[in-house]
Amino acid sequence: MKKSKLLLGDEALALAACDAGVKAFYGYPGTPSTEIFEAGEKYIEKTNDGRVAEWAANEKVAYEFALGTSYAGFRTVVTMKHVGLNVAFDAFVNSAITGVQGGLVVAVADDPSMHSSQNEQDTRVLADFAHIPLLEPATPQEVYDFTIQAFELSERLKLPVVLRLVTRLAHSRGEVYTAEKRLAPTSVGIPSEEEKNNWVLIPAIARGRYRDLRDKLPNIIDAAAKYNSFSANGRLKEGVLMAGMGIAYFEQYLSDNDIDPKKYNQLKIGAYPVDVQLLKDFVEKCDTIYVFEEDYPYLEDMIIPYAEGKCKVHGRRDGILAIDGELNLSTVRTVLAGKKVEGKVDDDLLAQISDLIEIRPPKLCDGCGHSDAYEAITKALKNIGVDDPRIFGDIGCYTLGVQPPFNAINTCVEMGASLSMAFGAAMAGMSPAVGVIGDSTFFHSGMPTLLSAAKSNLNLNLIIMDNAIVGMTGQQVPVAADIAPTLAKATGFEEDQVHVFIPLPKKTNENIEKLEKIFKEDKPSLIVFKRKCIQAMRRKLYTKPEKAEV
Amino acid sequence: MKNDNTFGLVVAGVGGQGAVTIAQLVLGAAWMSGLHVLQSEVHGMSQRGGEVSAHIMISKKKVTSPTIEKGTGDLLIGLEPLEALRHLVYLKKGAPVVSTTTAIVNMDSYPEVDRVNKLLSGIDGVKMIDSESLSKEMRFPQAGTIALLGAAATYLPITDKIWEKVIQERFASKGEKVIEKNMRAFMTGKELILQ
Ligand code: SF4
Repeated sequence: MKKSKLLLGDEALALAACDAGVKAFYGYPGTPSTEIFEAGEKYIEKTNDGRVAEWAANEKVAYEFALGTSYAGFRTVVTMKHVGLNVAFDAFVNSAITGVQGGLVVAVADDPSMHSSQNEQDTRVLADFAHIPLLEPATPQEVYDFTIQAFELSERLKLPVVLRLVTRLAHSRGEVYTAEKRLAPTSVGIPSEEEKNNWVLIPAIARGRYRDLRDKLPNIIDAAAKYNSFSANGRLKEGVLMAGMGIAYFEQYLSDNDIDPKKYNQLKIGAYPVDVQLLKDFVEKCDTIYVFEEDYPYLEDMIIPYAEGKCKVHGRRDGILAIDGELNLSTVRTVLAGKKVEGKVDDDLLAQISDLIEIRPPKLCDGCGHSDAYEAITKALKNIGVDDPRIFGDIGCYTLGVQPPFNAINTCVEMGASLSMAFGAAMAGMSPAVGVIGDSTFFHSGMPTLLSAAKSNLNLNLIIMDNAIVGMTGQQVPVAADIAPTLAKATGFEEDQVHVFIPLPKKTNENIEKLEKIFKEDKPSLIVFKRKCIQAMRRKLYTKPEKAEV
Repeated sequence: MKNDNTFGLVVAGVGGQGAVTIAQLVLGAAWMSGLHVLQSEVHGMSQRGGEVSAHIMISKKKVTSPTIEKGTGDLLIGLEPLEALRHLVYLKKGAPVVSTTTAIVNMDSYPEVDRVNKLLSGIDGVKMIDSESLSKEMRFPQAGTIALLGAAATYLPITDKIWEKVIQERFASKGEKVIEKNMRAFMTGKELILQ
């Protein structure tokens, strides 16, 4: 008998990769994808069988690490959250043209409803754009099975394959039956003599490769077809078009309410690109179609033109479902059964409860150095006469500085934006301009701004909140520590333009005084607030050797 | 479980309290009992202090949805009274609630604790446990939380033998004493409901 385990969706992906003989995990932490890498790392530590897991400075670098491993003939996973794929997008799109050697799985976790993200973008659209096949599992078991198949598919099509998870699946724990044998990582060899130039995307080669990719499209659609199932025995000509968690909620709805699955025509999508013929055939069988998919109305927009004049399509476009936010059992039931269930909380009780409950916002841990740093920064600005200070912020624990009592940042756009936006504002005359960034975010994509900053003569103040850890996603070790001041000097900052402060309550007054002076000077400065993260200290993470042994 | 329908359990608390641990204990216990399970965790942006909840689906049939539909849940464990109130909407009519009276006041806008507890305890089917005093009495900081699990266990289709096994496995690395303390807290909670 096969053995089953209880695994998170993320863990199922990592374990499947190991079972499929993966050589390396690369990535940059980002909720809800982080646990993929961490689970992979754990399996590797336990078995010590020649595999590696390495966090990269950002997603683009991680993607390129993976491409290199694939070039060497080995299977590899690169993990990131949806917005991380934007950072890796250059490598992502071009990897479809180079193709891959060892199987390359791109594990991307989308975040409908933005539980911990800046937007709701849909990875299916980006994979489509790049002509890269995408698999979308609906249960932890499917995550496991699809991952193993994704490697095979990747090597067969010689293309990267995306595995799209959403928050709800990434962070669901369920039963998973695993393979009996775990494959050791082996190389399929480096690209052959005829294929070795495929990877050199100079126009003459890239044109041919791009044409090859377009020519491959029917094969890709064919490969995806296996994951897309069609059943047209619905008695009422009502159809449901669904994918991923849409399938999971629909099936639960049927099962909980003892509804015969034959009541509906069903088109279940597990892989993309989708053969449009399937959609056309489906339209022929239905007079009404409900669409359940996470994030964008992607399948819905595909089917609407074919349905025109033949059948009604209900989903996010006609407002039966909200245009944003994730699906759940209630939304599926409300759409299909036409009514909500009456539960324990009636209107009267709801009113009483609503009167009492307030949002409980996440906050900086008590005693976190970020609070002391923010106190010093905002006070110093006020002291020098900036009545309504505006500070450019970034992504990390310190983003919580937007909330009271700090009210200390006013922007958070994407990783690295704080420093560049402060630069732009300084160019436009804002003085002093202040940008705040974490150490990991600085290495991720804040660093290039340092180069422009050094050459400027602006009152530009780049502040690094350095705790030598990626605090927000659970304290991963960043690629570098302690080198920001040296880097700044190498780019042209003078000794007196680089400052290191300790954000401790007893130092706050001293820090304020020093900051006032710095903010008044008409020159760029780098200010590092250096103090360890309490959570990481508690977990004794700073005692680990800084270099991962490879 | 009386029938084949899915049993939905919500565990609600605040970051750092162990809501996910409690959820995993239930999940493991139901799984060891041969039932189908699926659980989802919701934690917000940061490490600590925000709302944390977990949904657990248990069934004799295959389960595919990791979350509970509002108004259909069968049991709520409240590790914090305000969070218990917040997640009450997931329950169906008549479903029991096991909640602590111990509030975690980590925001300025927290209402009067007495008002919260009064509203909660007045709701039909709600059992309240003073987990803070219980922890003090048993001289074991986690006793209150585990007692809530024990209390909730009276509504779950899981035998004491399985609970014992699950608790043993979970705390095996911490030694016999910790296992024994947890077991005692668990049974204390259970008795509070049964008596
Ligand atoms: S996890 Fe670390 S960095 Fe984040 S708020 Fe807590 S102490 Fe600060």
